Amino acid sequence: MTETAKAPPELAALVADLKPDNADLLATFHHIQEAYGYVPPEAIPLLAAKLRTTPAKVFGAMSFYSEIRTEPPPRLAISWCSGPACRLKGAENIRRALEAILGVELGQSTPDGALGLSLVQCDGTCAQAPLLRLNGRPRGPLTVAEAIRLARELRETRGNGHQA
Amino acid sequence: MSVYSELRAKASEAWQVVETPPRPRIAVGITTCSRAHGADETLAAIRSEVAQRNLVLDIVVTGCWGLCYAEPMLEIAKPSGQRVLYQLVTADRVPQLIAEALDGEGVCSVLALAAVGLTPVRGLPSFESLHMITLQTRRLMANCGIIEPESIDQYIGRGGYEGLAQALATSSEGVIKEVTDAGLWGRGGAAFPTGRKWDFLRGAKNQPKYMVCNADEGDPGSFVNRTLMESDPHCIIEGMAIGGYACGASYGYIYIREEYPLCAERMNTAISQARERGVLGTDILGAGFSFDMEVVRGAGSYVCGEETGLIASIEDRRGMPKIRPPFPAQAGVFAKPTNVNNVETYANVPLIMHHGAPWYTAMGTEKNKGTKMFSLSGHIQRVAVLEVPFGVPLRRLIDACGGLPEGRTLKAIQPGGPLGGIINAEHVDISLEPEPFREQGALLGSGGLVIIDDTACIIDMSLYFEWFAEDESCGRCTTCHGGTQRMVEILRRIANGGGRTSDKEMLRLLGDTMRWSNCAHGTAAPTVVLNMLAAFPEEYREHVEGKRCPARVCRGLVRYEITAQSPSLPDAAAICPTAAIVGKDGAYSIDQGLCIKCDACRELAPEAVHVVDALAPSAVSVSE
Repeated sequence: MTETAKAPPELAALVADLKPDNADLLATFHHIQEAYGYVPPEAIPLLAAKLRTTPAKVFGAMSFYSEIRTEPPPRLAISWCSGPACRLKGAENIRRALEAILGVELGQSTPDGALGLSLVQCDGTCAQAPLLRLNGRPRGPLTVAEAIRLARELRETRGNGHQA
Repeated sequence: MSVYSELRAKASEAWQVVETPPRPRIAVGITTCSRAHGADETLAAIRSEVAQRNLVLDIVVTGCWGLCYAEPMLEIAKPSGQRVLYQLVTADRVPQLIAEALDGEGVCSVLALAAVGLTPVRGLPSFESLHMITLQTRRLMANCGIIEPESIDQYIGRGGYEGLAQALATSSEGVIKEVTDAGLWGRGGAAFPTGRKWDFLRGAKNQPKYMVCNADEGDPGSFVNRTLMESDPHCIIEGMAIGGYACGASYGYIYIREEYPLCAERMNTAISQARERGVLGTDILGAGFSFDMEVVRGAGSYVCGEETGLIASIEDRRGMPKIRPPFPAQAGVFAKPTNVNNVETYANVPLIMHHGAPWYTAMGTEKNKGTKMFSLSGHIQRVAVLEVPFGVPLRRLIDACGGLPEGRTLKAIQPGGPLGGIINAEHVDISLEPEPFREQGALLGSGGLVIIDDTACIIDMSLYFEWFAEDESCGRCTTCHGGTQRMVEILRRIANGGGRTSDKEMLRLLGDTMRWSNCAHGTAAPTVVLNMLAAFPEEYREHVEGKRCPARVCRGLVRYEITAQSPSLPDAAAICPTAAIVGKDGAYSIDQGLCIKCDACRELAPEAVHVVDALAPSAVSVSE
């Protein structure tokens, strides 16, 4: 397995216990993502060798899941809740304002990688709708004006001071 | 029962300490909801305040009482028997709480919500008498908020795993018969009889067999499964183990969605504790039955909540629903016989085995026995999780949650997630059971109820739910991925003022075509749009023919106008993200080419900024 030889040792350790037909792949994606912030491309052939399948199958599986990242995360992830309670309370207005201020759309990061805007699914914290999360920490309920002030502050500070 | 009796006797001591605490005990509810309201900070503040004051007491972590609006919540219990539930205890209120509530038999009145337990507290209502609670019968939620979810002994001390012990003393047919007699059906949405499903798996020849728990709760606005997993994880493990015994399965998977990390953490802890106590693993409770299980964490895919998509995901593949047959009971996980049930379905099983089918069926209606958990969100005063017997009218749940925001009128209810459809407010007295919802062309679903008032536009909400279905389609069937795309395009065009008279027929045709999709995602995806056409014909016609959005939500049909000059307008101009508000000689106006209709200016200058109809000429003059 030449892939193992080339891979960083941490990555090899993270995939060490992976076995075929053992419901291991999603857990391994999570472990790699916890360590690296994303799943680096060099992990794919390693995973494939362990599962005795092709890199295409592994990549195919990975690309199916929206929470597995294939690129490094932004310094500050601004997550916009897409749930119905948020929608009913003005989330769509907030999204438009954030996109205008940050100059990125949902799913994109600023060119310097400082701020990323992404969609997250409802986790049922609807008592705080509409809400945003800054590196996972909920902020809500927000008026559009409050969201705009927050976005402007984040744009000025490039997300510094808001790390988890 | 001897091994279990021994276990129970030991655990009773642990529970006794909770019932009659030797010293004051502060139990802070830590759940996803309470954390979002700052419960972690509250817990830290309590620890430091208690240390500073050199108080001798216990601080523990409990689960969720189901009162999301009142988070962070905590309970203070004292040796005297006084037990008080406190609400909205943010970290900044901790010093006052500790000073007043731990001063002898004192109570911090400003934060006190209710008295719990048997000892009345002067000036406080009992928990059971709260408006939110009187309607409820908490069987599934009996432990929620009360026990420490990370303590298996408290679960056992309250009678936990007795259902398993009783099942193991019964034949597997006997267990299935009890579940069948109880009338239990799947709580995930399909409402298939659980006993029959289990019988399929019991009859399957291949080995090993798997019990799978669907904890993917992907319907936005549904959080009943999360409440159970975070507050009482063992009831799910117990239900799965009983199912494993009844069906001859030796292993279980509980598939938990990415968005629920705390559920995965608590389920994992509970599984290890269950192994330690011998209620999971080999030779469970000395009865010769072996069953173990593990957590699989999802990674952000709604369609993995469909049982065959979930199975594909467990198998390390793209989570695409499979074509049936073969059914999971024939060939499921790793092509072995498999049973998939929802979290709440499994949680009912220990109750049935513990108390028996006659007790279980005493609650509910003719066709639907037992209780159901619901989560209410949206335009509702108090976001909450409730458990009621089947057959309670929906209106009473809305009332229990404090009704709608001041001055609003109910417009619609969206049950069962984005695929569950939408029903008109005129049916607010609908009985909470599957059949009446089916009559309305909707689905009761897994327990999410999104309350929608007159500030919302039904076209906009239909577009939103259909967009969700489009975004989460796995892509296998053209009827589904193509159908949802076409529907979204049409609805978006209508919302932008380009509605055509031919659209209604086109939407219906698409809806009929989508019914031919392979899985429930595609077949149910048109529900909301077909419901909208049938139940809200006026609002639809207004959009298409009148080019007008009565709720003034749809972007292409509204315009922001400054209708009066006001001292708040400089603020409104400053907040505008696109600098669309232009002030000239003290008079402000909106540059329509720049305006993104985000509503921020109207928030700050409601007296000056108005939303008007953009296209209907008769309505352009402002009437408000």
